Amino acid sequence: MEISEPTNKYVELNMGPQHPSTHGVLRLKLLLDGETVKKVEPIIGYLHRNAEKICELDYYCDSLIYFDRMDYVNSLSMEAGYLEAAEKLLGIEPPERAKWIRTIMAELSRIASHLVWAGAYGLDMGMLTPFFYVFDLREKLLDIFTEASGSRLLTNYMSIGGVYQDFNEKIIFMIREFLETFPKKLEEVFNLFVKNDIFISRTKGIGILEKDVAISYGVTGPMLRGSGVEYDVRKAEPYLMYDKVNFDIPVSYSKDCLGRFLVRYEEMRQSLKIVRQALDKIPEGPYFNPKAKKSLMIRLRGDGEVYARTESSKGEFGVYIVGDGSVKPYRVRVRSPTFKNLSVLREIGKDVMIADLVAISGSIDLVFGEVDR
Amino acid sequence: MVDIIEEPVGKDKRKIFRVKKEDLIAAMKSFFEQGFDHLSLITGIDRRDKIEVVYHLHSVERNEYIVVKTETINDTVPSVTSIWQSADWDEREQYDLMGIIFEGHPNLKRILLPEGWSGFPLRKNYDLSKVQFVNMDESGNDYASFDPGDGW
Repeated sequence: MEISEPTNKYVELNMGPQHPSTHGVLRLKLLLDGETVKKVEPIIGYLHRNAEKICELDYYCDSLIYFDRMDYVNSLSMEAGYLEAAEKLLGIEPPERAKWIRTIMAELSRIASHLVWAGAYGLDMGMLTPFFYVFDLREKLLDIFTEASGSRLLTNYMSIGGVYQDFNEKIIFMIREFLETFPKKLEEVFNLFVKNDIFISRTKGIGILEKDVAISYGVTGPMLRGSGVEYDVRKAEPYLMYDKVNFDIPVSYSKDCLGRFLVRYEEMRQSLKIVRQALDKIPEGPYFNPKAKKSLMIRLRGDGEVYARTESSKGEFGVYIVGDGSVKPYRVRVRSPTFKNLSVLREIGKDVMIADLVAISGSIDLVFGEVDR
Repeated sequence: MVDIIEEPVGKDKRKIFRVKKEDLIAAMKSFFEQGFDHLSLITGIDRRDKIEVVYHLHSVERNEYIVVKTETINDTVPSVTSIWQSADWDEREQYDLMGIIFEGHPNLKRILLPEGWSGFPLRKNYDLSKVQFVNMDESGNDYASFDPGDGW
């Protein structure tokens, strides 16, 4: 028997959709030269439900739950993003107290999302320990969400015209307690990462994303700020109450995976700062606009078109709604930040080792409910 | 000379420009040169007798946001992938779900739905009652068919 020389230098390999490091159902089609990745093509759509079409078939108030299910670790920010567009279209202004409550909940949700990301990223890098610390911290936040909405993950807390129920004293006490205990514990978790040599050597200088490439690919959020662009929708086009609070935008100029990690860490601390100020400034008053009370809600009619953008934990989350004067939207389009952020993997995942590809794809912060919608 | 018609601002106070399909590439190039370096979103809207394509452009430096609209009656629109890289996946998604054919796109195939899916779900005349099944062939690629027992 004669063994012939291999004619093809490159090997094609499928990574995923069930690979443990791909955060759900991402499939990467790799072209390998030894252990070096020559070409990477992300294949998505395994979690596709077509939420845009479902929204067209539902009343304005009912569509909210599909936004919960987009970025399920950050559901409160998603709700705030949808309502920002829907309320502008329907001409309903929520009262000031509701806006403050939404700001607080969106920021707590951002912290929860970054915590999950940090834990999962540690797992990608072969560190099991931080995962448990991080999920323990997140449990406190989920308790707050449960107290407010009755649900841990898919909260459905906000609604058109306000929020589902008011903050009571117990929730405010829980948030204040969280603000006191969290920074010290976060510091502890942070040290588990940055004082680990393996973590540093696996992220420093890996996955360099240049500024102009990032902007051309539509990358936003911590990934863009990790590439040295000081851009945050909360500052650029303030929504809710972000123009009334004082906070900074963390930026890293190292452009690598470690930079993105540090940006997210600092963002959590800035979120705490926002929540602390918001708790002091929150006024008494109604938490719901009576124009949108439950019996009237399905009769709300929207006309014209609105594009509203908000800063979710992953980047610029935009909702574009076109109404035709009926009780259901004519067209809903969602700009999901991770969809754009993932598309840049074709650029930064080239000519790296497979192990580094795991570090790079992890640093994007992928949640597939949102990529596939 | 490119014809760019400015329309009254909408409820979200963003400037709206309307261009003809033939002038789209020239208009987009001029917007890009004016500093709109970030193509945020491409949306296709099925208006039943025509398809409206909406582009949301954004300038990161100046923090300005504009909307450019064009429309087509035969489902084809020139591709803007040569100007912004992010148009690649956005146009593929709009082809996939809305059936807009972007002329000059380097790799125009379905992105969210599997190969062989019949129809475009976001069209207003899409038949929701027809059930399609997703199967996998031997090389691991998905494809859709009307037969549930089909496939590997």
